[in-house]
This record gives sequence, structure tokens and C-alpha cells, in this order.
Amino acid sequence: MSTPSSITVTAEIRRYDPSQDAEPRYEKFQVTGLSNMSVLDVVRSIYDNQAGDLAYQFACRVGRCGTCAVKVNGTPVLACQERCKPEMRIEPLTPFPVLRDLVVDRTEIEGRLAALSLAPEREAAHPREPEPITPELSAELCKMDSCLLCMVCVSACPAVEERAFDGPAFMLKLRHMAKHPQDRRNRLEQAIEGGMLECFNCDVCTQVCPADLSPAQAIREFRRELIFGGARRS
Amino acid sequence: MSSAATLPRNTTRQAESPLHGNIARVLHRLTGTVIVLFVLVHVIAQAVLHAPALASLKAVAPWLPVMQSQHWVHAVLYFSIVFHTLYGVKLLATELGFRIEYRNALWSIVAISALVGMREVLRYAGV
Repeated sequence: MSTPSSITVTAEIRRYDPSQDAEPRYEKFQVTGLSNMSVLDVVRSIYDNQAGDLAYQFACRVGRCGTCAVKVNGTPVLACQERCKPEMRIEPLTPFPVLRDLVVDRTEIEGRLAALSLAPEREAAHPREPEPITPELSAELCKMDSCLLCMVCVSACPAVEERAFDGPAFMLKLRHMAKHPQDRRNRLEQAIEGGMLECFNCDVCTQVCPADLSPAQAIREFRRELIFGGARRS
Repeated sequence: MSSAATLPRNTTRQAESPLHGNIARVLHRLTGTVIVLFVLVHVIAQAVLHAPALASLKAVAPWLPVMQSQHWVHAVLYFSIVFHTLYGVKLLATELGFRIEYRNALWSIVAISALVGMREVLRYAGV
């Protein structure tokens, strides 16, 4: 196996500490390393060697937790999965409030998820034994459950920017519940309240999703349900 | 099984490629604007040409009637009409449950629209 060549990356990072800075600023750093470095490798190197006060976050480093999501050259990505570029502008995810540098405040996101009550609301108590489910539906629910809630899709969504729309990730989560055979809550109603009808149907969320999911398809399924019926009534 | 849970993409280059959805959305808006603008210009130009009360405008804006017979205006207009229609139909079809791959759909629609636009240019060129 051949060794990857070396690369010098110029990273421009948005620095902002709301408690100290009046306005955000961009600081340039140069990092030399292997050409197959990830964006997270570059950020970590900057933190270790050049800017010890840089705030950023990560956890798993293998694209499973969604913690390290940032914007690179304007496109939301998972920093641990995205290959570094010779010139990069790294910014925190929009439209979320910035706590410091690359770290965004997820309080509102968590609150919104909690308000959606994303657990099956059953008619009767769980029978305490496995419930029958078709393998196809089980696989589909498993796939939908692989959403990392990294908010990359919400950050990329043009409808979130322009309209009163919660964002694709929330719609996907609602669709996940709507497909659950034991859930009795009217998820379509929740989706409409979350601004599902404001979606442009542009599939940007599908393209950027690090878990290869399609929130746009979930929204389309909700819309189809709205037109042709089939929603559960609570 | 195609719908099985997948691991995240290994090594993405997402920030290097264009977001197809954004291209499609912007093109859809631009083409819609072009159509509305052309209809506006067309109505005004016809009024200037045929309504005696507005005949004085012909001297003020002599370019207005000429605009309608420019080959590039026709090419842009035809591209816009075809793109706006096909992309609108695509949006409608996906909402009704048809599964259409967004990348293929966008570039196919752009190609068809470009062909129609080119045809107009060639028609003016006498080809």
C-alpha cells in the first residue's frame, strides 16, 4: 500500500467568544500532514500546536456520533469524515447560536426533540415480550434510526433559512415514529406544525446526510399521506 | 437487503461538490423570473406596437420591440420554459410518490432544456 503524500493545509477558522468578542473574526492557520487527513485532524492539530484556546468538539471520530459537525467552505459536513482541502474555511453550523468558536448551543435542538416525544405512544402497555414485526419494516426502521442528529441537514436546508421550518432531521424522526407499528400518535399533524409544508423538496438534505438517509423522502411520504390519507389519528 | 442500516460514509468530499438541490432550486427560481419578465416585456412591446395611445413609447424605448426577436432571448426563454415545466413536474411527481433520483433528474432536465434552447439558436442561424 502506498503512503499518502504530504499536504500543507491553510485553514481559516471562525473564532468567536460571545462573552469577550464584539464580532466574530477569522484566524488563519497552516497545518502540514498527510494528504488523507480529515478536517478534524486539522482542527485537532491546530488546537494541539497553535491555538490551545480553540473551542471545538468531537467524540467518536468514526462518523457515528455527529458531534463534530461544522461547515467547511460553506457546506455542512462531519469534520471526522470530510477529507481536508488545501484551502478551508471552517465555521460552526448555522443557524444555531454559537457557544464559542466551532461549538454550537444544542439546547434548543434537544428541547425541540423532547417536545416531539419521539418514543412510540402505545395504546396499551408493552406486553413485555417481543412484538411481531416484518423483517422489511424492521430493517427500514433500523435504517431511519441511524440518523445521528448531527444537524448537518438542518444547517444545509435552504427552507430552514428562509421559512418557518424546523428542519429535515426532525421530519425524519417524526416519520420514523409514524412508521412504527405501535405508535398511535398523529405524527403527520406534528410534522405540519413543524413546517413540513415549507420544504422545497430540493434533496439537499439527502445529499449531505452523513448516514445516507433521505429526510426529503420522509417529507414526501408525509405529504403523500396528507394528500391520499392514511395518517393515524390520536 | 437494500434498506439495511448503513455505516456512515467513509471519507467524504462533500465540501468539494456542488449541492445539486441548491442548483436546481436557484435555476427553478431564475427560470421562473425569466418567464415572468419576458411576458411583461412582451405585453408592453405589443401594446407599444399596436395601441396608438402608447405609440410615443416606441421612440423612448426603441429596444423594446427589438428584444422579442433576439435569438439569445428566445434561447434563454425556451430553456427557461422547458426547465421550469419539467422541474415542476418532477417536484409534483415525487410528491405523489414517484421515486426520482435527484442528481439524474436535475442534469437530464438541464440537458433537455439546453437542447431546446440550442435549437432556437440554430433555427435563427438557419441550420
